[in-house]
Amino acid sequence: MRESVITNCEKKFIIKNLEEHRRLDGRAFDEFRDLSIDFGRDWGCCYVSLGKTRVLAQVSCEIQQPKSSRPSEGILSVNVELNPLGAPHFEPNRQTDLFVILNRILEKCIKDSKAVDLESLCIKVNEKVWAFRVDVNVLNHEGNIIDCASIAALAALAHFRRPDITCDGEDTIIHSYSERDPIHTVIHHYPVCISYAIFNEGDVIVADPTLLEEGVADANLIIGLNGYKEVCGLHLGGKAFLDPDSILRCTTKAAGRANIVIQHIKKVLAEDSEKRNKGIVIGFESALSSSSADINSLEKLSLCLDNWKVQKKDKKESVVVTVESNSETHVDATVESLDESSAVLLPVEENGQQVWNVSSSESDSDVEMIVPQSFKKIKPSSTICID
Amino acid sequence: MPATVGDFVVPGDVIADLNSLNGVTLTGPGLHSHEEHNCLLVTRAGTLCFKSPNIYWVEGLQKRYYPKKGDLVVGIVTKKAGNIMKVDIGSSELACLPLLAFEGATKKQKPDLQVGDVVYARLLSAHREMESELVCVDSYYKAGKLGPLSSDGFVMTINLNFVNRLLDFNCPLLHTLGKKYVFEVAIGMNGKVWINSHNVNDTLNLMIALLAAEQESIDNVTKVCRQLM
Repeated sequence: MRESVITNCEKKFIIKNLEEHRRLDGRAFDEFRDLSIDFGRDWGCCYVSLGKTRVLAQVSCEIQQPKSSRPSEGILSVNVELNPLGAPHFEPNRQTDLFVILNRILEKCIKDSKAVDLESLCIKVNEKVWAFRVDVNVLNHEGNIIDCASIAALAALAHFRRPDITCDGEDTIIHSYSERDPIHTVIHHYPVCISYAIFNEGDVIVADPTLLEEGVADANLIIGLNGYKEVCGLHLGGKAFLDPDSILRCTTKAAGRANIVIQHIKKVLAEDSEKRNKGIVIGFESALSSSSADINSLEKLSLCLDNWKVQKKDKKESVVVTVESNSETHVDATVESLDESSAVLLPVEENGQQVWNVSSSESDSDVEMIVPQSFKKIKPSSTICID
Repeated sequence: MPATVGDFVVPGDVIADLNSLNGVTLTGPGLHSHEEHNCLLVTRAGTLCFKSPNIYWVEGLQKRYYPKKGDLVVGIVTKKAGNIMKVDIGSSELACLPLLAFEGATKKQKPDLQVGDVVYARLLSAHREMESELVCVDSYYKAGKLGPLSSDGFVMTINLNFVNRLLDFNCPLLHTLGKKYVFEVAIGMNGKVWINSHNVNDTLNLMIALLAAEQESIDNVTKVCRQLM
């Protein structure tokens, strides 16, 4: 399956919208989509959704012989999988550009920045070390995989516990989770990737681009940052004129965002461990049920259809004094306090006979004063609406 | 347990006790005949629908388009080679659209279409083994509403079920939107919708409205529209 072409009208539309400082999903230029992090029942199983982009990360470990260049360090490998589940044009086991870029950036960000203490993973120098492998699966591709994947990989690593071991002489015994408490990984700092899309030769820079925006953008700027505002990686894909200042500005903004993300990760981790201590069953059930359909789509629709609908709704609830022209002239007030239904009001309203609104600043106490019967003689066949 | 009308069915479910007229039961998409007598096998996930006296079909949130002869579709030009363009209509294979299949096109005068442009076309042929063919003229060589679409609008993809709902005569959504906005729309049976209006903001609002309506049931949409009419 090939990748679908982005049409010229979509490109034009997005650029025009950006010129008017608007994004298709209503976000501000430096606003990010909603981030949610959930942990599975296993250690090191993490599900992250950023808007509609979804990523699942799982950490696994085994004992291996260390690399001869670093005999006293454990091994950490990050592996991003792009399978057709995420997007129809992804093919499994195929080294596309995106695949290589994602893997390299994640490796740079997490492994090369020495976020994980690899020396603590050593069991016996030059013979046995723990090898950690982070598998990141993209479940849905709706733009900005890299942010999502980096958060997932990091949270999964921070969540993961490796089984305890004992060494006696030559033998190494691995204790199961039930036998001994597992040991958590030491994480020195939390680096996350923050990406920006650059349009119009550097004029417009938007945060957290969606799939469409990624396709239209001139270039993508991905910044790896940790909580101490230290840059752990920088990647500029595509072609765009950018002055160094704008990159610096982006980095400053990204640092703020990175801080928020890291706080969120830490908070979720703390909540998870608290739940585990209490023995509450954890799983993805809650995550899946909460991420179901848009609840307010009907509201959105009615808002798009009409903005005066809101006012109309108010009118129904407001105090309405109706004076009818039929033989027995009486006062109708369709307000909850006065027991009269709105059915009387509606036909009068549709006729459009002298309907006017009194500004809402008038308090309800005034209304009580208008109701007196002297009023009905002055104005036959008219409707008075008071908000 | 046999599924009944209105149930959510998944592939492999069996529907028994069919209503038939003179021993004939009509089946729509998502259903297959079963070995047993008077039974149907479900091949697609969705809601089982029934129309009296004897029509059954499965309605799901399908996004994959299967070309059907005579359908009006919105396609995206993906390749241009000689006199033939390859157009993405959302099916498994690209469809071909000859440059001569436009109104008034001759060998010397051909429409100026680039890769990424959008066309509104009719499917001339759709076979399982052959690539489907599109035309932008009717049998009188007139374009009618077909042809290249302006590059000012926006193309969005909605599910095929919603396309049918939108095009339903009883659906008031497009009428209601028409009262509020001035716009052009080309709805393809392949789930691609091209919208254009005078300004970008209106187009964006229309897009949001359609996407919101896609999530809602037809009853809710009708209710909202009625309130405003």
